[in-house]
Amino acid sequence: MRAASSSARVDPGALERRLHALLDERYHDKHPFNLRMHAGALRPDELRRWVRNRYYYQTRIPIKDGVILAKSEDREFRRSWIRRITDHDGDARHEGGLELWLKLADAVGLDRREVASLRNVLPGVRRACDAYVELVTGSDLLASVAASLTESRAGALLGLRAAAFEKHYGWIAPEGLAYFRSRTEQAPRDAAEGMAYVLAHASSPADAERCVAALAKKCEILWALLDAVEWGGTKPRLARSAQLRAGEGMVVLPERAVRLTGSGREILGACDGSRSVEEVAASMRSRHPDAENVERDCYEFLEQMQKLGVIEAPA
Amino acid sequence: MSAAAAEAAPRPLNLVAELTYRCPLRCPYCSNPTNLRDFPDALSSADWARVFREAAALGCVHVGLTGGEPSARRDLPEIVAAAANADLYSHLVTAAMPLSSAGLAQLKERGLRSVQISVQDAEPGSSDEIAGAVSFARKCELARTAKQLALPLTLNVVLHRRNLGRVREIIRLARELGADRLELANAQYHGWALANRAALLPSRAQIEDAARVVAAESRSAAKPEILFVLPDYFRDRPKPCMGGWARTHIVVAPDGRALPCHNAAQLPLEFWNVREKSLAACWEESPGMRAFRGEAWMREPCRSCPERVRDFGGCRCQAFALTGHAANADPACSLSPDHARITASHQEPARAELRYRERTA
Repeated sequence: MRAASSSARVDPGALERRLHALLDERYHDKHPFNLRMHAGALRPDELRRWVRNRYYYQTRIPIKDGVILAKSEDREFRRSWIRRITDHDGDARHEGGLELWLKLADAVGLDRREVASLRNVLPGVRRACDAYVELVTGSDLLASVAASLTESRAGALLGLRAAAFEKHYGWIAPEGLAYFRSRTEQAPRDAAEGMAYVLAHASSPADAERCVAALAKKCEILWALLDAVEWGGTKPRLARSAQLRAGEGMVVLPERAVRLTGSGREILGACDGSRSVEEVAASMRSRHPDAENVERDCYEFLEQMQKLGVIEAPA
Repeated sequence: MSAAAAEAAPRPLNLVAELTYRCPLRCPYCSNPTNLRDFPDALSSADWARVFREAAALGCVHVGLTGGEPSARRDLPEIVAAAANADLYSHLVTAAMPLSSAGLAQLKERGLRSVQISVQDAEPGSSDEIAGAVSFARKCELARTAKQLALPLTLNVVLHRRNLGRVREIIRLARELGADRLELANAQYHGWALANRAALLPSRAQIEDAARVVAAESRSAAKPEILFVLPDYFRDRPKPCMGGWARTHIVVAPDGRALPCHNAAQLPLEFWNVREKSLAACWEESPGMRAFRGEAWMREPCRSCPERVRDFGGCRCQAFALTGHAANADPACSLSPDHARITASHQEPARAELRYRERTA
């Protein structure tokens, strides 16, 4: 590049401070759901919902790391980065993070087959996790690595979490906490590696901006995941402004009418303000034990109805 | 599919009951016809009750009680009760004059389900100036009453050059008033608004700025739900006017004519009157309703256009007003040979003064 670019070099110290300032502001350790988790305020059903849904995020990690690997021409980089995949998938000698997460599922009283089937993953959680893989897929190597820098806060968060679980959630067997312990060690190492890469390779102001933007997007994704988990616990009911016309299979609102299909009527009928979104889906499952995609269809229908104002779901 | 089958009358969902064209406001973009004096209030509350029953039998589930100003009719409580008796979801569209808070409470008792209140701007002086009447304070008061009565509340603001710069303040006003829904309705250039186009048409930059504000504000809070549709004058494609001609909406004008939209009486078509025929006959068989139902009427470029199923060729009234032929493609479409009639308007010299509609109540 020409000499003019020398005046526009990136100060690594300044970039690192910016990335940390961003995490200070937007990392999901401050999300209300996490605050409640660590204060011991979550009910068992809320913790189970989180464990069940967060598993989908866990399954995306080795996939996005595979995408990152495929972006690098550097053998040394790949030799180091590939460890992240085995950390989660495991190998002949070690159980990986995914198995440890299923042990957490066992410990909180979930059926690990149900968790692994992903059939109860809430659509907002799925969207958030898929958005992470898409972000990495659509970014260059530098921005992809920058997106992983939330790891630099994960060690502290998981240490806090392991302690909070021991202190507040005594009903969870200690074997269930192995995931948190393993990541408390892995995350700082991964974060240091990622940060060193970003600071060494962000050479122009535009690079720095892309790194900051990718990390901001990642923070948004983690935040949205928890928002979606919270939504699963809200108790939907027909909106005050909505008139259900059962005979015609229609809901009328101040300025629109919504036609319901057969199962739509049934789902809406279960939204009486006493059942959570998850419980509505469970009741649909018990009525249709052998049908496919019952939960997913139910969640998607409820999301759509909420967007249209047909149901209200106060937190 | 045969043409006859394609033109079979679909089931309407929404009855728009234009109870009167009288109104204490004089907005220069009023959607009523410019010859509104030719539309007397010809239907009694008993006539409206019959129209409501017939509409429900046809399949309508919703009635918008509008005008003009519907509360200019003293028998509005009976009309609201008739809508409830016909099992229609009733939605009142009002300028908040002369309707009082006590009057709104009475309408709710009679079965009113929801209310839309118009405001002309976020700034009282400007709002009153555009309305051509001192009205802003009353509107805010009635909006608060609606909330106290637990009536779902929509705030409607018509946007144009003079108030687009205050979209943020308008959204703040809607939040203060507790509106469930905010309709930011870009002026549509028919009738009165077409006569005032040179004084109302905004710049593209104004529209884009407003769209950005709306997008940011919509993300920041769930309420109110904000409806902002880019105006057809600034897009390359027409809007799917009324969801298609005589497909889902029946408008009954104050004189009793059953129309497919607010402006259709301006077209050289024969529409039937509910005083002489049943609403079902007016809807299914009147030559005017049948004229542009389906696709058989379409000319090129609409006839072979894959987008015709989405926009139905756009607005017949706009095609008529700007090209002289209602069956032409809506000139808002860039594929229309008459598209320059839209784009040229962006070069028109701006006019400062407004042409108000006459005072009628």
